[in-house]
Amino acid sequence: MTSRPIRHALAAVLLLPTLLVGAENGETLDAKAMAVPAPKRVPHWIFPDTTGGLAASGTYANELGQIGIVLAEGAVKDAKSHPFFQALGPNGRACVTCHQPQDAMSVSLDSIRWIWRVTGGKDPLFAAVDGKNCPHLPQGEPTSHSLLLNRGLIRVFLPWPPKGNDGKPVDPEFTLEVVRDPTGCNTHPQYGLSSSNPTVSVYRRPRPAANTKFTTHENFGVLPFIGKNGLPASRDPDTGRASSMNLMADARAPSLRAQAADAAAGHMEVKKPLTKAQLDAIVAFESQVYMAQASDRHAGSLTEEGGPSGLGPQAMLKGEAGVLGNNTTRWVFPMENKWKSLPRTGDATQDARHAARESIQRGHDNFMFRTFWIRDSMHLNSVGLGNPTKRTCATCHGMHLTGMDTADGWMDIGSTNLPWAKEEPLNPWNPNKPELPLFKVTCKDRVPPHPFLGRVIYTQDPGRALITGRCNDVGTIVMQQLRGLAARQPYFSNGSAQTLREVVDFYDRRYNIGYTEQEKQDLVNFLGVL
Amino acid sequence: MRRLLPVMLGLGAPLAIAAAPADPSIRNFVACPVVRDTASVPCWLSEHDGELYFLTLQADVSAPVNPPWLGHKVLVEGRIKPGAARICGGVVLEPVRLSIIAEPDAACHTQLPAEERYNLTFEPPRPPGPSGGRLAFNTLPMPVKPVDVKREVKQYSLPYDFDGLINFKHPFQLTPILDMANAMKVSRVEIIGHRGAALLSDGSVMPEQADRAKRRAEQVAELLQGAGLTAPKYDVHWIDAAPAPSGIDDHTQRRVDITLRP
Ligand code: HEC
Ligand code: HEC
Repeated sequence: MTSRPIRHALAAVLLLPTLLVGAENGETLDAKAMAVPAPKRVPHWIFPDTTGGLAASGTYANELGQIGIVLAEGAVKDAKSHPFFQALGPNGRACVTCHQPQDAMSVSLDSIRWIWRVTGGKDPLFAAVDGKNCPHLPQGEPTSHSLLLNRGLIRVFLPWPPKGNDGKPVDPEFTLEVVRDPTGCNTHPQYGLSSSNPTVSVYRRPRPAANTKFTTHENFGVLPFIGKNGLPASRDPDTGRASSMNLMADARAPSLRAQAADAAAGHMEVKKPLTKAQLDAIVAFESQVYMAQASDRHAGSLTEEGGPSGLGPQAMLKGEAGVLGNNTTRWVFPMENKWKSLPRTGDATQDARHAARESIQRGHDNFMFRTFWIRDSMHLNSVGLGNPTKRTCATCHGMHLTGMDTADGWMDIGSTNLPWAKEEPLNPWNPNKPELPLFKVTCKDRVPPHPFLGRVIYTQDPGRALITGRCNDVGTIVMQQLRGLAARQPYFSNGSAQTLREVVDFYDRRYNIGYTEQEKQDLVNFLGVL
Repeated sequence: MRRLLPVMLGLGAPLAIAAAPADPSIRNFVACPVVRDTASVPCWLSEHDGELYFLTLQADVSAPVNPPWLGHKVLVEGRIKPGAARICGGVVLEPVRLSIIAEPDAACHTQLPAEERYNLTFEPPRPPGPSGGRLAFNTLPMPVKPVDVKREVKQYSLPYDFDGLINFKHPFQLTPILDMANAMKVSRVEIIGHRGAALLSDGSVMPEQADRAKRRAEQVAELLQGAGLTAPKYDVHWIDAAPAPSGIDDHTQRRVDITLRP
């Protein structure tokens, strides 16, 4: 595969050195309140309405190696005339603004910092609507955009109480109070919960718009009723068929089409609904973009002939969608023990490569087979496995090739719910303040308390419960596909893990796993090649 | 929607005392579950009247008996399996039904380490990690859509845990009903909700919550409608009175009967 950035991006790349030099000399673009850390590399950033196109296959460098992108239907020749790449609304954003090939069709924190620096915070990514902590804050001040600049988070604003499929408000099973509002948005008279249009703001990572045949399949586990709780599954408004409910952190989008219409109205502030032709083109594009890490800085090519069959973007292109992989027949990420034990030849380069590959294989085996006690995790312990259950990473991350849940993939691992969610330590010596809002959820008397968290839950993002109003859904988040991780730091929907190591450390702490240093390194190396 | 006239004697006060179940091998009780690790999958146990009982092994969603939760008591309705060797130190109850009590109970936190002497003497239906390629019991194959069905009256019964409403097991039972109703283009869906009580081994009677029959019936109607079955007329009824429990098959009263009419 070859790397072929599009022309406009190249222009930006050429611009960068001067700006970075300036920054290194202490003359930051944003000297006032908050310094935006220097990006680690220059991305192949694709601007909206760019001239040029996107190659049918390409690789783009990231910290751990290269991500591979494959377009099954061939190159996009003229991005300027393609709705995924066009600024369709007044704020100048395109879908590609937040879904960059270079970043596994998401957008990494590093790229966000880069585009902030090269545009002086003027890129449409930073649009007031949701590229800022809250629209009322002064535009262009780094502190106003701190969640995007520090954690890669976009403001997601949803009506509260939620609206059901029939458009009528749902009567929530709990009350929602704002305990902490560092962005000012949830208590704001115009944007907040007490405004005339009551709205709740949470902050989430963009999710990869790629490998969508897996995220929208109609195969195993997709039934008219949700496998987690028996309630009716959302249905694709166009076909009427049950959705796999695996899109967005809260599964609110029943189909790619509905998602795209919503993204245009929300992120892009498009006033008129997109045309059928525009929606068709966007969905067709997303439906044929495949991505996975293609090479690793230590382990070398991940796509070699005869290598593990589950790695690289071609594995995604060829793979079967919607198959359970938490087994020893299909596997989640098939590696066929190809890197189990590799010879040492005395050639330092090759030996290092072999050692790296063996570590990846060990990480894979750990992911599949290393048991620990999974405890108090709603929609995992509650679906017939018992609480606690002695299982592995692959129990939750079970879908063949993506490591998602096969359907209805929302669970509470404590990424947003206290006491497990990452919180800023408060003490006289720590100058940092909490950045995320904190909500107090109180389950009403008419429902039983949350089985694991009780009647009162503190959370940074109620997740699925913002859509259903259900107490048991508080803090349940739809897992993302574990693909292209190397290209899209930070992790978890609320960006609370800056690195894969932090992800692994989170689990070690959350489930009292007791990993050895070697186990942690192996797992990190494995996750990095997906 | 309406409430049907009680056809049976209603149970008044909770925990009315009756005679213990007639069958001496029956063990019905409410207690904390206990989980014991083993060299393979964990065992779930519970203590009653000075004896330890084996409830079930950890398996997967497809298991006929799913393990309970620490942090909650469990209603055990079981029968001692004649001649069975103890498992994980516990007297084997089989068949057994487990209903998790919704109200949390912090006292239920006993997790025991593995011990050589409690190793399983048999291959568990599913290891604690990836399966060998299928669900442990395969009792829950993905429902197949009915084709060319006869348009005739069809009856179904949905079982419930004690005090339970719809849960993760019901999609596999509701989906065939929905598919049949769509394939048959039914004109009428009749739903009757029931509520039961459990006769415990100590002779006390534990009735289900008073609103269960109603909520079960209404919920099933909502679910079928929510899944798109809006054309037929719905007759939704419930019977609030719980029949007097025998301690032997009390679970059969916890159900919703569904009739599809062409
Ligand atoms: C301002 C940034 C931004 C723009 C512009 C944007 N998105 Fe997104 N996208 C997001 C965020 C944030 C999420 C996750 C939201 C959530 O989890 O609630 C997301 C999620 C998605 C997902 C779900 C992926 C998954 O697996 O869950 C798809 C698909 C997607 N976007 C496609 C699009 C399309 C198509 C467009 C253009 C019409 C678009 N996006 C424009 C930020 C953006
Ligand atoms: C109880 C179920 C469960 C278990 C066990 C589990 N995960 Fe997760 N995982 C999730 C959920 C749910 C999320 C989404 C959380 C969020 O975004 O806030 C997630 C997110 C992740 C992510 C972040 C993905 C992204 O795109 O940001 C990684 C990486 C990950 N898990 C790896 C692992 C590893 C490694 C293990 C084993 C140590 C593991 N998981 C065990 C449920 C689980």
